[in-house]
Formats: sequence, structure tokens, C-alpha cells
Amino acid sequence: MKRLLLGTTAISVLALSPIANANTTIELQRFFGACDAEYGSSIDVSAAVGECGIITTLVNKFEADNPGIDVKVTTVEWPGYDQLNAQLASRSAPDVVSMHYSAMSDYQSRGLLVPLDSLLKEQGIQATDFTDAAISSVTKEDKIYALPFDNWTMLFHVNTNLMKQAGLIDKNDNPVLPTNRDELFAQGQQFKNATQQPYLIQISANETAAYARIFYTLMMQQDSKFFADPSRIDLSGEDAKAALTLMKEIVNKGLSSQNLDYPAAVSAFANGNGGIAVNGTWLIGSYDAQSKEANNALSDGYRVFPVPQFFSQKDATYADGHGWVVPRGDRSDEKMAAIGKLFKFLYDNDYEWARTGHLPTVKKVITSNEFTSLPHRSDIAKITKTGQALPAEVLRQFAIQDILGEELGSAVNGNKSIDDALKTAQYRINDLLENI
Amino acid sequence: MAESYRRSRWSNGLFVVPYLSVFLTLLVFPLGWGIWLSLNKVDLFGGERFIGLKNYARVLSDPIFGQAVKNTVIFVGVSVPTLVILGLFLALALNKTTKGSSFLRGVFFASSILSVTIVTLIWRIVFIPNDGLMSLIFNYFGWQPIGFLSTQGWSLFSVGVATVWWCIGLPMMLFLAALQQIPKDLYEAAALDNATRWRVLTRITLPSIKSTIMLVAVIQVVMQFQLFGQAQLMTNGGPAGSSRPIVMYIYEVGFLRWDIGMGAAASQILFLIILCAAMLQYWISTRKEEADA
Repeated sequence: MKRLLLGTTAISVLALSPIANANTTIELQRFFGACDAEYGSSIDVSAAVGECGIITTLVNKFEADNPGIDVKVTTVEWPGYDQLNAQLASRSAPDVVSMHYSAMSDYQSRGLLVPLDSLLKEQGIQATDFTDAAISSVTKEDKIYALPFDNWTMLFHVNTNLMKQAGLIDKNDNPVLPTNRDELFAQGQQFKNATQQPYLIQISANETAAYARIFYTLMMQQDSKFFADPSRIDLSGEDAKAALTLMKEIVNKGLSSQNLDYPAAVSAFANGNGGIAVNGTWLIGSYDAQSKEANNALSDGYRVFPVPQFFSQKDATYADGHGWVVPRGDRSDEKMAAIGKLFKFLYDNDYEWARTGHLPTVKKVITSNEFTSLPHRSDIAKITKTGQALPAEVLRQFAIQDILGEELGSAVNGNKSIDDALKTAQYRINDLLENI
Repeated sequence: MAESYRRSRWSNGLFVVPYLSVFLTLLVFPLGWGIWLSLNKVDLFGGERFIGLKNYARVLSDPIFGQAVKNTVIFVGVSVPTLVILGLFLALALNKTTKGSSFLRGVFFASSILSVTIVTLIWRIVFIPNDGLMSLIFNYFGWQPIGFLSTQGWSLFSVGVATVWWCIGLPMMLFLAALQQIPKDLYEAAALDNATRWRVLTRITLPSIKSTIMLVAVIQVVMQFQLFGQAQLMTNGGPAGSSRPIVMYIYEVGFLRWDIGMGAAASQILFLIILCAAMLQYWISTRKEEADA
């Protein structure tokens, strides 16, 4: 009996030992996918590839460098705001959350985010350390509400092996890309005739974001002020019609892949099933790594460029970014200090994150040799100047994106007329904004 | 006065307290709270303001809600009879004591234990273009591939196929249990009378399990009106909202738009629709029974 009692006590003490150790635990919730099988225990950040690989190893490295701090990571399905909303509503939000700049105003305007000015200052991080685009995206009412981590946009990922086959390579070995709408259709047809593959690989099924992002880009290229009043969208002009008509014509002329959802579109380009993938900055690292391997569709045949300018008014492209926020909640000074250390670590490793293909937010990284010498960065450098976001005062940008994408998709795929789709989108979005 | 009644004490009611407390906490209270929220302008994080029936007016005048109701009614109208007929057919075919039928019962029930995520992943692999199973079959025969998940009409059909595959286990098991309750002597008497298989089915089997048929139908109507996960994961309600069910509309309004008041109003309307559909079914069946009697 005595032995049993001693044994039970020993087990209880062992079970409670983590409490006795009292490491500070940061609960971090993020999207970017799960890849524990490959990177779960890796701390070699420079060897990691892709968003998931790099952020996983970054967190592992931070834990290894800071033995007193545990980071408990919860990976959520993109974009993860449903979970966050439920957590905030039940006052059980995690300590650190990945968030798009475009979603930040919703939370900040309801007082759901903690201002980070003093936390960043304590770590020696200044607002002036970040690019103007990044810091202005996370600054609301003169306070900083996120650690800006990157800027991203949609790009033209080009399979130059297929472009060569289609005769769309110039004498300097650069792919020939369209500079206006007529060239787009002519080159697309030339590509299709030569390769029997679609010119563009676009995400068109089970998806709304891709439609909305391209539409925003085409509207911005016409210098359209469709959110002149942040509480109303105006899609009644010729600019909206011209943008949607172009999107529809690309599909009608058979120049785009059809019925592909996001994963299918990513793998279709990787498998050489089309010339140009219209997808985000985040794929540069993965496609570039694939192009350096032998015997695949992208071997020595991958380049990437900004979305060409199809309207003469303005060279612009829709851009957004990812930041790290601290949701409202009671936290000890030790925990806030640990979060500060984590943010400093992420700030210091902005270059590593930029290897994904995203644009760095830290000025000194953008101008550093190691960043500028990364492959393809000179080809997309101009998006730091042409990238443009929706006005920060526009609330519910994700819900707007869903409504807009659904209606645009209906028109592009022939389920609605262009006029009907734009009219319905405007009505639904304005109904949403009027009732916030 | 009966002995049992005279011996009854108020304290006997304590036996139902555990169930009653769970019922009140998890069902009655949320229902009441939901009704209260539907009468308020409120988002996910508070700020309640009483606005009467305005949320109901907004929901009922929203063409997207009308489309979601239509989609859901079509879905229930097709999937429930399919589940009942297919479940009954499987139960009749597997109502034997052989090893093979036991194995097949397990096989057909196995899909029911999977989560909606796994089910939709499996059916996504079947329906996606290029590398999907259906695409490979269509290409093999030289047919033009169909965008099952991205074409109007086909998208709701595809969600229905995945749903029937996922949900068929429960109806089959309920029918099997009912079939095994039918007295064997009825079949022996029918055999002595040289009754045909069809006559046995229509005069003995089906009348004997009609209460189970009604139970399965009511359960499935209630379940299928709550279609959500399959539609969200396979088609995201598209294209053009043609596979958006009512629950997905509620989710979008409540969680994406943060308009909890309007979402709660749509929930109450869904509650009424389900209640009416189940009551109508029950009323039709009991009226028929009374007429037969």
C-alpha cells in the first residue's frame, strides 16, 4: 500500500512538473498550411522552402533559441477568421494571430486588437524601419496594430519551356508578355495553337478571391475610384464593365484553364498544363525550387513577372499583406515580453520569410544584397511601387471579396450577364456595408 | 385513485432533472436566445439594439436567401427519397445471415463514420477536372469532361452524390433492424400461398416496416435541410450560388459579414421550415393510417 501511495505521488509530481518549470507559452494561430511531417523538428531555416516550411522552421528556431518560451502553434484553414471570431466572442483568443492587412480594420475598429507601439519600441523596432506601404497598412488612428510581415500580390508565373515552344521568347531569352489587351489575345492564341495547352492557368472553381483580386487590379489600372466613399462600392461605370469584359473574353476565347480549384491550379502549372499561372507571390519559392530540379515541366524554365498593364491609365496591381496581431485579452507582463521577443525574431528574419516570394516589409532587407540577389526579385521589383490596396477604411473586405468574386465568376462562366453580375454585386456589397 | 398515483411524490421528478437541465441549457435556452438575437441589430462582439422584425424582412427580401431555400428544397426533395429507397434496397439485399452480407453491411456503413472533411476530400478526387476519376473515365471514352463542381446544376448534384454516399449507412441499419423484427411466420404463410416476391414485399415487408420508413424519412429531412459542410468544402456554394444551402447562407451572414442578428433570423426561418416539413410528413402518414383503420 505504501509503495502504491509513493508511486502515485511520484507520478503526480512528474505530471505536474511542467507547471513547476513554468515556461512562458505563446499560443500562435496562423494559416500558411501544415507541414510537420517535413519540417516539424527542423531548425534549419535556410534549408526550408515555401510559406509553411519557412514559418514552421522559424518558430522551431525561436523555441530553440529561447528555452524559456514555448510556442504552441495552431494551424487554421485559410484565412482562419471564423475561428478567430469565435475565439474573440468567447474571450479565448490566442496570443498571436496571422492576419491580412485588409482584414485588420474590422478588428481594430471594434477594439479587438492590442496596440503594439510600446511592445515594438521595447524591442528596438521603429516604425521607420518598415516600408511605407507596410507600416501604413498596420497603422490605425496613429497606433500600430500589427507586426508587418510581408506584402503580396498576384503575378504571372511563366513556364518558359512552353513559351519557347510557342515562339514567345525574345532574343535575350526573356518570355514575351502582352503589354495590352490585343497582344494578350494574339499571344494567347499563338500559345494555344502551338502547345494545345491553355495560355493562362487561373483558379476558377470553389474560389472567389482570385476573381476579386484580378478585378481590383484591372480597376486600379483604369485609375478607378470604385471605393471613393469607403461605405459604398460603385460598379456602375464603364471601368467595371471593361474590367469584367476582359476577364470574360479571356475565358470565352479559350485562353484560360477552366474548372480548376486552387490546389488543382497550383499543380496544373507545376505539371506543365499551361503557360502562365495567375497566382500569388507565395508560390515563387516553391516553383523556383522545382525549376532547379531536373526532369520536370519547369526544369530551367520558370520566370515570374507582375500582372501586365492592360489599361493605359495607370500601372497598378492590387496588393495586400500579412501581419502578426495580438488579440484583446488579459496577458501577464512575462507573456507580453515573450511576444515581444518573438516579434523581434520575426522582424530579424524578414529576409528568410521573403524567400517565399513575398515582398519584405523591413527596409534594410529590401535593399540588402542577399534579398536583391534572390532569383526573380529584379523581375518583380516594380510591384513595390505599383502595389495598391483598397482604402483602409473599407470594412469587411473579405466578405466583399466573397460577394464580388461570386458575381464576377457568374459572369465569367456564363451564368449571368456582365451587367446583371455587376448590378447584383453592387447591391449585395452596399447592403452589407449599410448594415454594419 | 390508482395506487401508483397515490404513491407519487414531487421528489420523483428529480429523476428527470439531469436530462431536463441539459435539454434546457443546450436546446431551449439557445433557441430563446437565438430568437432574441434575431430581433436585434447585433454583430459577433455585441452592441445589441432592438429593431423588431427588420432582420426577418431583410432575410425574406434577400434574393440570395430565396435561392438558398430553393437549392435546399431541391436537395432535400431528391436526396431524401434516394436515401430512403437506396437504404431500403440495401437492407433488403443484405438481410441475410451470410458472412458476405455481414461484410457488406460493414462496408456500406463505413462511410458514415468518416468526417465531412474526409468525405469531401474523397469526392473532390472523384470530381475534379484533369486528374479526377470522372475526368479520367470521360477522357478514356473520349467524352467532353464535365466540370462537376463548377457547372450550374452539376455542382448540387455532386454534393448530393457525396451526401448519399456518406449518409446511406444509418437508413440501411434502421431498415435492417426493422426487417429483422418482422415475424417469420408471415413469410411462411405467404410461401404456402405461393405469393410472388413482389406481393410479399408490398403486402408483408413494406407494411410491417412503414413506421421505420417514416422515421428514416423524418430523420433524413431534418438532417438534409441542415446541409452545410459538403457544399462549403466541395463547391463553396457555387457557381453563382447554385449549390448554396440555407445553413451556408446563415454561416456567411453570421460569420463572414458578422451580422449575427440577420443570421439568427435566417436560422429561425430554417427552424420553421424543418418543423413544417417534418410535421407535414408526420401528418400525412398518420392521416393515411387513420384512413386505413
